[in-house]
Amino acid sequence: MIRHETSLFSRLALRVTLILSFGAALMISAAWYYGRSAANQTFDHLLLGAALQMAGSLSIEDGKLTASLPQSAFEMLGLAPEDRIFYRLIDTEGQTLTGYGDLAGYIDYTAARQKPVFLNDEYRGTPVRLVVVSRVLSDPPLSGWAYVLVAQTTAARSELTQEITGRAMLLVALMSALALAATILAVRYSLQPITALGEMISRRDPQDLTPLTLNAPKELRPFLGSINHFMERLDQRVVLLQRFIADAAHQIRTPLTALSAQIDMLDEREVSPAGLQSVERIRTRTNELSRLTGQLLSHAMVIHRASTVNLEKVDLVLIARQAYRTAIPITVNPDIVVSFEADQPQLWVAGDVVSLREAIVNLISNALCHGSVALLAVRVGVAEGRAQVEITDDGPGIPPEKWPLVVKRFMTTKASEGSTGLGFSIAVEVATAHGGEIGFREKLPDRCFSVLLTIPLWQEERD
Amino acid sequence: MRMAVLPDGGSLLYGRGMRILLVEDTRDVGEAIRRRLETTGHVIDWETDGQAAADILDFTDYDLVILDVMLPGLDGFGILKRIRASRKTMPVLILTARSEVEDRVGALDLGADDYLVKPFDFRELEARVRVLLRRRGGDATNVIACGDLILDRQSRSVRVGNREIQLKRREITILEILASRPGRMFSKADLMDQLYGFDETVNSNAIELYVSRLRKKIEGARVRIITHRGIGYQMVPDDTA
Repeated sequence: MIRHETSLFSRLALRVTLILSFGAALMISAAWYYGRSAANQTFDHLLLGAALQMAGSLSIEDGKLTASLPQSAFEMLGLAPEDRIFYRLIDTEGQTLTGYGDLAGYIDYTAARQKPVFLNDEYRGTPVRLVVVSRVLSDPPLSGWAYVLVAQTTAARSELTQEITGRAMLLVALMSALALAATILAVRYSLQPITALGEMISRRDPQDLTPLTLNAPKELRPFLGSINHFMERLDQRVVLLQRFIADAAHQIRTPLTALSAQIDMLDEREVSPAGLQSVERIRTRTNELSRLTGQLLSHAMVIHRASTVNLEKVDLVLIARQAYRTAIPITVNPDIVVSFEADQPQLWVAGDVVSLREAIVNLISNALCHGSVALLAVRVGVAEGRAQVEITDDGPGIPPEKWPLVVKRFMTTKASEGSTGLGFSIAVEVATAHGGEIGFREKLPDRCFSVLLTIPLWQEERD
Repeated sequence: MRMAVLPDGGSLLYGRGMRILLVEDTRDVGEAIRRRLETTGHVIDWETDGQAAADILDFTDYDLVILDVMLPGLDGFGILKRIRASRKTMPVLILTARSEVEDRVGALDLGADDYLVKPFDFRELEARVRVLLRRRGGDATNVIACGDLILDRQSRSVRVGNREIQLKRREITILEILASRPGRMFSKADLMDQLYGFDETVNSNAIELYVSRLRKKIEGARVRIITHRGIGYQMVPDDTA
């Protein structure tokens, strides 16, 4: 049992999709990262501005540090309306001057002496962004470092990050879809030669074992080469097989001739009446066997000739007349009216004399062995622009429903019907090799059954 | 050799007591052919070696040579070539078991008068031998025409218009007799003499059977065979009837 292999197309599509998804995930992560830093930058500026303004508002009055928080600082932060603001001012002593005393109580403010420090923190269960700025106070009674801490919840930042990321995602998705579509098209396009090759092979006549001629792309050439090589070997095998059949049939002939000689020598006067019946049956069967052996040989021969002999300009009337004389034994039943008629003295067709004669001989013998009661007529003429040999007999004929079966190549009808099938098989092979066909004319109450061999006429302007 | 004189002076040979050379190396086949032909009254010389047969043929004439193709010594085609090279016209019948039909065509090209492919029906062989012997004997080369009916006495073929009709030996003989003198009356006894010779006793009903078959086979021709009860038969072209 052959394991089901996924198609090349789905293999490629799956891999490309995986790579595209991975790339898209990377790009979306990057977009999110950049979005967040952009949002942070924007809002950090505002936060720093507000903190610096607060730090600037620190003043010493009466030897005490006071802060008059400017309205503008809060307005600046009001640009993020949904966020809450927490602040804490720390005096030189490290005591909270004003604001939320528990805001970031644990951090080391001294790091902010060089430059403002930003950090992410959490205040009262909400993530916040925190900035610490410092201010040096150098009034004699109150000298030292004061600090301003301003924290802001991150709703606006997240919103901005999401907005930036969302747009980037849309772009990435669009690009990925385009890439996927392009891949599918490209894959389909590059798989086309394979499909073409497949169709070419499946459309082929099973008899045709000549190499495939197809302009295949470089990648397919080894494959095509293997197929052609295989067909070549198959062809050789078929040829060997045909030769074997021909040889075997030929070797059967000699003992068969001897057998019929022995039957002929039986002195019928010395045989009992019952034995006489047996002798007659043996004679009939031997003749049948002879006919079959001959047909096997000619079948192998016409197939061989079909592939090796070129069609020449030949006279179908002459061929049919010779076939007629060969096929009708002198000892034919005298009650059968046997006749041959040609509509014109000569009829030129493109053909192989030997094969055509063999086909016509077999059609006539078929009619004689299985059809004729009192009539057998062979007629050569032109029908609808093609040459036609018509063999008519007054026998039961072949019913129309069996016609397609009879003209199938390598088809023999039931064994009980004798050698009809093989004879037709020969005729069909020859007709096919000549670009023609075997047809029939139905038996009607006022018309006899006919078999028709039709092939094209000789075209004088052939090259 | 028995001979019957035709109304127009031609002659028919009945092909008995002829000398036939048979060259066949398969014992059963050779024996059967010899026995069959001897019962019909011919003298058979049977050779199994091709070279020996060719040597005999160099200084002996036969009425017919039956040649197998595959022979020890010299093959059938070789013998045939030698016969024709020495300008002998004796009829040659080739027996071949070779598979290729070209062989049969080749045999005819080499000058064989007829061929049979093995295995063959021995009754058919006997019939062909009879035809070949008669063809040799019958010197009549003329063509008899009566109405649109044409009888070629050389090739023993009969045509009605365009249509060639296959006739049996005795049917042709009767037709030949009737058509050679259109309008003349032939009695049953006349015909019987021509068919069987003078000393054979045949059922006279046979003539009626042959004439009725003949009539059926030339149906559509512009001649008719008219029966005059108690007198005989007469062939009449339609345009003068």
